[in-house]
Amino acid sequence: MASSSSMTESSYPVTTRQAASTTQGLESSLSRPTESRRKRPSSKDDSALIERLKSGDQEALKAIVDLYSSKLYNVAHRILGEVADTEEVIQDVFWTAYRKAKTFRGTAQFSTWLYRLTVNAALGKIRRSKKTKEVEYEEFLPKFQEDGHHLVRPVVDWSNTLDENYAKQETQQFLKEALDQLKSVDKSVVVLSDLEGLSDKEIAAALGLTVSAVKTRLHRARLFLRGKLAVSLGHSAA
Amino acid sequence: MAKRNSRQIRLTNKTCRQMTDLVFDYLNDKLSPSTKRDFQQHLRICPDCVNFLNTYKKTVSVTRSIRPEEIPPKVRNNILNFLRRRVRKSATSS
Repeated sequence: MASSSSMTESSYPVTTRQAASTTQGLESSLSRPTESRRKRPSSKDDSALIERLKSGDQEALKAIVDLYSSKLYNVAHRILGEVADTEEVIQDVFWTAYRKAKTFRGTAQFSTWLYRLTVNAALGKIRRSKKTKEVEYEEFLPKFQEDGHHLVRPVVDWSNTLDENYAKQETQQFLKEALDQLKSVDKSVVVLSDLEGLSDKEIAAALGLTVSAVKTRLHRARLFLRGKLAVSLGHSAA
Repeated sequence: MAKRNSRQIRLTNKTCRQMTDLVFDYLNDKLSPSTKRDFQQHLRICPDCVNFLNTYKKTVSVTRSIRPEEIPPKVRNNILNFLRRRVRKSATSS
């Protein structure tokens, strides 16, 4: 949709001085969500368990289920959306880990290997079932004029009104539904990054993508989610 | 107002479209010093990009606040039972 003039939602209300003052505090980097997430076991814990697993120690398998079942369930359930499918995927992942422990060389972290098995199994299940709720992103992405300015101006800052309009649970439910509309691989990237706190490098290893591809997918998915939130509040996604 | 704003934004070396492409690396503190300087210079005069950045950050923070799904105890037991059966079966067949 090309346009030579900007579409406006209302008159342009924020002055340059206001813009400058509003940028204060924007320099802070986004920290990973590790503080709010279950901690991953240390690689030292993992190494000892893997050695026991390689020798067929069934107690080690149970210990690994205890350590990882919640995390892997969270990832698989977010991707698949159904408990029965998730259970099937997780039990296959642990069985594969038990059978193939001897092939694990330790070039990647054990947790990354488990995430990789989980995401691949979940994505495979989606491909086979051909059930998909994916939508086209375009409608919810920012749009620009030919000269590079935002197409719809002013861009409304709804960051403070989101909490006023929705209870926390409502926002979370809305976001979960929006997540379900992402392409499966993009959803996996968002889940591993923003919900599980993995680094871009770990996600790349888990999904068999380049780090650059992970960043691109994550950014695009966030733009889509941002657009969905904006529209839900009565503003333009653009 | 809009015309003056357009002129100013052109002077910052970055368009709003480019700003949108850079926001991911900006928030992860991965921009080169000169690109970061251009980015911040644009923010100082472009309220639209300030508002875009605020809403992008809010989107990330609310996504990160989604509570993890807890594994139902029944599912965990089913998984353990499945693994016990498989281990037993493989032990008897080998």
